[in-house]
Amino acid sequence: MSSIITRSLSKIYDSVKAVDEIDLNVKSGQVFGFLGPNGAGKSTTIKLLTTLIPPSSGKLTVLGIDAVKHPLQVRNRIGVVLQQPSYEPTLSVEKSLDKYGMMWNVPKKIREERVEELLSEFNLEEIRNKKNDDLSIGQRRRVQVAREFIHDMELLFLDEPTVGLDPTARRKLLDFLKNKAKAGLAIFYTTHVLTEAEYICDEIAIINKGKIIAVDSPDDLKNRFGQEKTIKIHLLGNHQSIPNLLKEIKDCKIDFNSGTNITIHSDKSEIVLLQILQILNQQKIPIEDLSAMPTNLEEIFLKVVEYSDASNN
Amino acid sequence: MHPIIRLVNRNLTISLNPGFLLWQVIFPLIYIFVAGFAYTSLIDEVTFEAKEITYPAFLATGMIGFNIMNSTLVSGIIIWNDRRYGMFEQIMSGPFTRANYILSNIFTIGIIGLVSAFLIALVGFPVFFNSIEFSFITIPLIIFAAITGSVLFGSIASIISTRLKSSEGFNVTINTVFLFFAFVSTAFYPAKGAPEPLASAFYANPLTYVVDVIRAGFFGTFNDFIIIEMLVLILLALGSFYIATKLLTRLDF
Repeated sequence: MSSIITRSLSKIYDSVKAVDEIDLNVKSGQVFGFLGPNGAGKSTTIKLLTTLIPPSSGKLTVLGIDAVKHPLQVRNRIGVVLQQPSYEPTLSVEKSLDKYGMMWNVPKKIREERVEELLSEFNLEEIRNKKNDDLSIGQRRRVQVAREFIHDMELLFLDEPTVGLDPTARRKLLDFLKNKAKAGLAIFYTTHVLTEAEYICDEIAIINKGKIIAVDSPDDLKNRFGQEKTIKIHLLGNHQSIPNLLKEIKDCKIDFNSGTNITIHSDKSEIVLLQILQILNQQKIPIEDLSAMPTNLEEIFLKVVEYSDASNN
Repeated sequence: MHPIIRLVNRNLTISLNPGFLLWQVIFPLIYIFVAGFAYTSLIDEVTFEAKEITYPAFLATGMIGFNIMNSTLVSGIIIWNDRRYGMFEQIMSGPFTRANYILSNIFTIGIIGLVSAFLIALVGFPVFFNSIEFSFITIPLIIFAAITGSVLFGSIASIISTRLKSSEGFNVTINTVFLFFAFVSTAFYPAKGAPEPLASAFYANPLTYVVDVIRAGFFGTFNDFIIIEMLVLILLALGSFYIATKLLTRLDF
C-alpha cells in the first residue's frame, strides 16, 4: 500500500515553479529519501505533502486521503519534524514532551509512559528539567525529533533531522528510525548527508530545480549511475613526468597532485589501471599504495544533479 | 478533548509563569494603594457620571480595565513567540486548523482577562466598596467589559505580532501602542476637567469605553451613553478580530 502518491504535483510562487509536476510513490513501512541541492524544492515539497501549503496543480493522496480536499484528516495521521527548530522556550524538556502529547490528545497515562521511554531513548534524562531555551542546538534537535514520537502516526516527515547531532546521537537516531520503519511506519526523509541516506533509505528520489531527476533504491542508483570507479595511486617519491607519460590513456579522467598522487576516474577502470601500471613498470616508478573505491551515493548525487543542470542549460 | 481546549491549555501553560502572574497583581496593587492614596492629597473626589467617588475607588476600577488590556499582551506574545520559535508552523502541521489556533488565542486572553478582572476587583474591593451600588447588571457589565476588552486588545496585539518580525520592533510597537491606550484614557484620571483636546482624545481610545462600562457596573451609573460605548466596543472588537483573523490566515510558512 502507498503512503504518498503524487501526480503532476506543482507549486508556483510568482510564476516561479518551486515544485514542477512531480510524481512520487512512497510505500508503507519504507524510508523514502528525498535529496536535492539547496533551493531544489525539498522543503516546499514537504510543506505540500504535509498540507501546510496547497498545491498550485496536481493530485496529492496521503494515506489514501485526498490531501487537498481533506488536509486535517491527513494531519491527524502524520508526524512532522520540520527543518527549522520548533520549541517552547519557557518549558522544560520533560514538560514540552508532555504538553506536545496533550496537544495530540494522547491520554495522560500513555503520555507519562511515552515521555519516560523517549527521555531514555533519546538520551534526554540528564536534561529533562532543563528549559528548552537553555539547550544546545543538538539537544534541542533531539527533543524536537523525540517529541514527534509521543503520538501515534502512520507517516513521518523528517526534514534534515540530524542537523546539529553528534555522530553517536546521529547513528542512534538512524537506528531508531530503521526500527520504526520495520514496525510499519513510513518515513519521508530529507538530508544533505548522503552517507546517512545510503544507510537508512530504501528508496531515494533526487530533486533539482523543482523536478524529480531520479528515483530508485540506493543500490540501483549506483548500478545505473555508478559504473565509474575511482582509483588512487600513491607513488614513492616525486615524479613530475607523470602527466606526460599518462596523457595518451583514453576513457578516463586523471588528476595529479604534487607529483606523488594519481587519481583516476573511469567507467573502464580495470583496463585503464592495467595501462597505467604497465607505464609505471616500464618507467620503473615505484608504487607505495593503491586503492580502488566504488562510487558512493554522494558522487552519484553530484553526477545526476550536474547532468540535470547541463540538460536544463 | 476539543482541539481548541487543548490549544488553550497549551497557551496557558506557556504564558502563565510566576513572574507574569506576580506582575499582573503587584503592578495594579502598587497603583491602587500607593498612587491611589498618595494622590488623595491632590484629588479628593472624582465626579463620574454625576456621582462623587473617592480617587482610590476611581483608580481601582480603572485598573481593572487597564489590567484586562495588559493581559491581552499575552495574545500578541504567544503568536509572536510561536512564529519566532517555529511553533506556529509545527502546530499548523498537526491536528489543528487556523481557526482553532485563532480561537484558542481569543479564549486564552478571555480567560486571562476575566481572571485578571476578578483578581483586581478582589484586591481593590476594600478601596471602592463604600461607593459600590450593586445591581443585577453589575456582574454582566464587568464580564462584558472583560470579554470585549480582551477580544479587542487581544486582536490589536495579534495584528501587531503578525506584522512585525524583529523582537525590538515588536516590543517597541506594542509598548508604544499600549502606553497610549493606558495613559490617554480615563483609566487613571477623569475626562471631566481635562484640557479639551486631551478629553476628546480620551474618547478616541477604546480603553476609556472599557473602564466606563466597568465603572457603570460598580457605581450604578449605567445610562444611554454607556449603551453607545458598549455598541462601539462591540463593533471595534468584531472589526479588529476580523482583521486579526485575516492577517493570521494569510501568514505564510
